[in-house]
Amino acid sequence: MTDVRFPVMSGAKDATGVIVTWFVESGDEVTPATLIAEVAVDKVDAEVYPQTSGVITLLEQENTEVAQGAVIAQVA
Amino acid sequence: MTATLPRNKQSLALAVEPAAGKRRLSTAKAMQEAISQRMDRDQSVFVMGEDVGSYGGIFSSTTGLIDRFGPDRVLDTPISETAFIGLGIGAAVEGMRPVVELMFADFFGVCMDQIYNHMAKIHYESGGNVRVPMVLMMAAGGGYSDGAQHSQCLWGTFAHLPGMKVVVPSNPYDAKGLMSAAIDSDDPVVFVFHKGVMGLGWMAKNARSIGAVPEQEYVVPIGKARVAREGTDVTIVTVSLSVHHSLDVAEKLESEGISVEVIDLRSLVPLDREAIVDSVSKTGRLIVVDEDYQSFGLSGEVIAVVAEHDPSLLKRVSRVCVPDVPIPYARELEYAVLPTPARIEAAVRDAVAT
Repeated sequence: MTDVRFPVMSGAKDATGVIVTWFVESGDEVTPATLIAEVAVDKVDAEVYPQTSGVITLLEQENTEVAQGAVIAQVA
Repeated sequence: MTATLPRNKQSLALAVEPAAGKRRLSTAKAMQEAISQRMDRDQSVFVMGEDVGSYGGIFSSTTGLIDRFGPDRVLDTPISETAFIGLGIGAAVEGMRPVVELMFADFFGVCMDQIYNHMAKIHYESGGNVRVPMVLMMAAGGGYSDGAQHSQCLWGTFAHLPGMKVVVPSNPYDAKGLMSAAIDSDDPVVFVFHKGVMGLGWMAKNARSIGAVPEQEYVVPIGKARVAREGTDVTIVTVSLSVHHSLDVAEKLESEGISVEVIDLRSLVPLDREAIVDSVSKTGRLIVVDEDYQSFGLSGEVIAVVAEHDPSLLKRVSRVCVPDVPIPYARELEYAVLPTPARIEAAVRDAVAT
């Protein structure tokens, strides 16, 4: 099982981010080419792709604040 | 005189509205993918406009394209709409396929001569010898307190003037397919995207602005409406963000036994008159929902289509549009004039009550 982490996008380590959109649902098959989420810190967007292939489980909801580097999903 | 021939012969083989599959994108990303795939295929396609480069389009219509294709094919321009739209027209008549962004539809006032006297008329005035295969894309719509000069839809204004195709997608699938078709078209195409359907995190986001999009290249034919939802009691004919609101209302009223058909026009020019007549023939009740101004526009045109075909089809007809006022900045006032779900629901209840 591999973790999918919220990317570290801001030098201000305390700055939290938000998951803007989940493009997949728990139970979906994903690969490293699957766009799984769009996230933002201070209105700067980034795309998130998993590092491994497998079935994804989402751990956070859309529009929730998340610490940079936090685990937001798992692929098994 | 240079005649631009249909160059994208290969595009004729593109799939037409293939199955959507499972991969989901936002409307903004679907537009980016369409432009990117056409740029990969055809060196004559390039992008130009204000903040389309490193900023990626202020509503994310061109995000990432400059990283992939460089500043020679993704050109940031000064605030000079007449100049760069004219540049696009010149490039188009010489055989390029420019995708030019006007940013806000509201800005058309400073550059309309280039748009409607040149872009839209060159093929007519040359007897069809010179084509203008150009896409002019622009953001439209309100709902986020951007005031009277940044919140208008105005698609009816472009549709009123002959010589331009006008497409107005409501969702990611159609946005990709219509952008591909627009770039392939040998005619000028005005591509109007409502900011509220782009799936942007900083706008109020509608769930329908994220949806399944095929990875392959495909086209959605310009001029073909889509039955977004089938129903039997009342027809809503609409476009863009109002499709989402109408579908929300239709789902809500289903539990009360009110069956609403929703027609997403997708294109204003050409207008799919047959789809409008077919639906009203079935329901006899027509509501036109349009975020553009009410008078002298799309809503009257749609009703005239039915009236000219057979006025006896219409048991009830009404419209839910922006009354003929500038879009207010104050949130309460703005939402009082927009075609909100509450106004659409009231119109449906009124229509089926008689």
